[in-house]
Amino acid sequence: MRTVLCFGDSNTHGQVPGKGPLDRFVLSQRWPGVMAEALGPDWHIIEEGLSGRTTVRDDPIEGEHKNGRRYLTPCLQSHAPIDLVILMLGTNDLKRRFFQTAPEVAMGIGCLIYDIKELSPGPGGHVPEILVVAPPPMLDDLHEWSGVFEGAPEASRRLALEFEIQADSKEVHFFDAASVCTCDPADGFHLSAEAHRLLGLALAAEVTGIGWAQK
Amino acid sequence: MPDMRFAPPNPIRIADRAYGLNAVSVRSYNERLVLSMLLQHGSTSRFEIGDKTGLSAQTISVIVRSLEKEGLVIPGEAQRGRMGPPTIPMGLNPEGAYSIGISIGFRTTDIVLIDFVGGVIESETLRHDLPGTNHVHPAVFETVTAMLQKMNKTKRRRIAGIGLALPDGFNDTAELSSLKLRAENDLGLEVFVQNDVTAAANGESMFGVARDLDNYLFFYIGAMVHSRLVLNHQIHRSGVSSTYDVGLLHFERALGSNGTSSEDLWRISEGSSQYLAAMEKWKADCVATIAGKIRDARQFVEVGTVVLSSYAPRELCQAICDELAKNESGLKALVGKIGQSPKAVGAASLPYASRFTVEA
Repeated sequence: MRTVLCFGDSNTHGQVPGKGPLDRFVLSQRWPGVMAEALGPDWHIIEEGLSGRTTVRDDPIEGEHKNGRRYLTPCLQSHAPIDLVILMLGTNDLKRRFFQTAPEVAMGIGCLIYDIKELSPGPGGHVPEILVVAPPPMLDDLHEWSGVFEGAPEASRRLALEFEIQADSKEVHFFDAASVCTCDPADGFHLSAEAHRLLGLALAAEVTGIGWAQK
Repeated sequence: MPDMRFAPPNPIRIADRAYGLNAVSVRSYNERLVLSMLLQHGSTSRFEIGDKTGLSAQTISVIVRSLEKEGLVIPGEAQRGRMGPPTIPMGLNPEGAYSIGISIGFRTTDIVLIDFVGGVIESETLRHDLPGTNHVHPAVFETVTAMLQKMNKTKRRRIAGIGLALPDGFNDTAELSSLKLRAENDLGLEVFVQNDVTAAANGESMFGVARDLDNYLFFYIGAMVHSRLVLNHQIHRSGVSSTYDVGLLHFERALGSNGTSSEDLWRISEGSSQYLAAMEKWKADCVATIAGKIRDARQFVEVGTVVLSSYAPRELCQAICDELAKNESGLKALVGKIGQSPKAVGAASLPYASRFTVEA
């Protein structure tokens, strides 16, 4: 049995595009659920998706608990030993209140990678496999969210490249979600059920392709 | 003083470092390690690479991503396992790189253009007006240029270089220097020179039947018979003698030839009783000499396989292999896979070996 931790934001939580905060896709529709189904019974998939989660930033409006860095360490320790950590974050760091560029957001991902390596919650106290997933770029029309995310769509189109540079320099796995799915036009930055399905299947293939040693 | 642990990374994605193949001389040792494995085994999985190289899965991930972006590596056919999603091995992209091989012989010069997995795309044989060594055919450069012109720009940029295979004792003539200079200056391609028999062995190791063999004995049947010993992928030759006069020249003499090449001779006299008798006699001589050399070598090193390479007809090579295996217990004798211009294809493997693999 291998354990995978899916650490993300509302697009891991399964927030329904254009709906209220309580509308969530059911487990089998959310990408970690789709991935679990594709991987089969030998894999234990843990969902850790929080709406509004940033990489390393305390949110003055939504609360400091949205800071991914504050929660990552206790979360890793709770679920250790972990074979693979999938990080899919970045969109919320582009909110106007943080005023961050794409490379700065990527550095936030870099911090999380650093923290995971330092804690080493893998089997036998080793560094687990780490897979950075770049979220698909936001659409230009963000409806009522356009003020919150002013300037974000443009920056979001640079996230994949900046995340890959971080992944390369820190020697971790990388996947660009935009290669298989897009954001839903209902709100411009959440994933539809179909996008979750495509992403879950693609990540299942990435996960098995890692080159695991036989157990 | 900023905390350097969180300094911005080098702003270049690893996959963006290489612009076509001309920037690859700076390929890292680990990248070469991964490419060596792919050139040696064809298709492989990330697990196998990690297992054999000791590199971590994450390091391999970064390297494979960059090789995929460069177009050198492509995902192979999905393999369905007992459960879970299918695993996808990876392999070399046949169109990822190209190479030119030139082999200058006694009677002909062979020129080939091969892809990244050793497939021959173009080949040309230039006949020498007069048989002899130290002869650089005047049309070599034009033939290479014509082959390059047939390629589109993208493919042209993916040429790893030119391999030049020369027989023993080939002197560095003015024509040869000028050919190398023109290749480097006019075509912008690096020239890699190697002994022709060693090049042929290299070709079999990289693309042929010797692909998965760490150790083997290599015999090349040309005008003469030549031997090489391959140990741990390293090609060695005897400092005393590695050339024996039991090759096709020997056969031609038995037929009373006066300079016609054996190919012409076979076409003219095939089936005649004189031909058959001469053939049997030659085959026996050839097998006896090679078998002797195999026994000599096996007194000192443990080699279980012999690879026989030649441009001679495949059935003929197979018959010799069968004889060799029959006479020596526990010996496997294989006919080389590269039947068409083995020395030139071997020459074309040299730029790949030099640019993409870990050379011990």
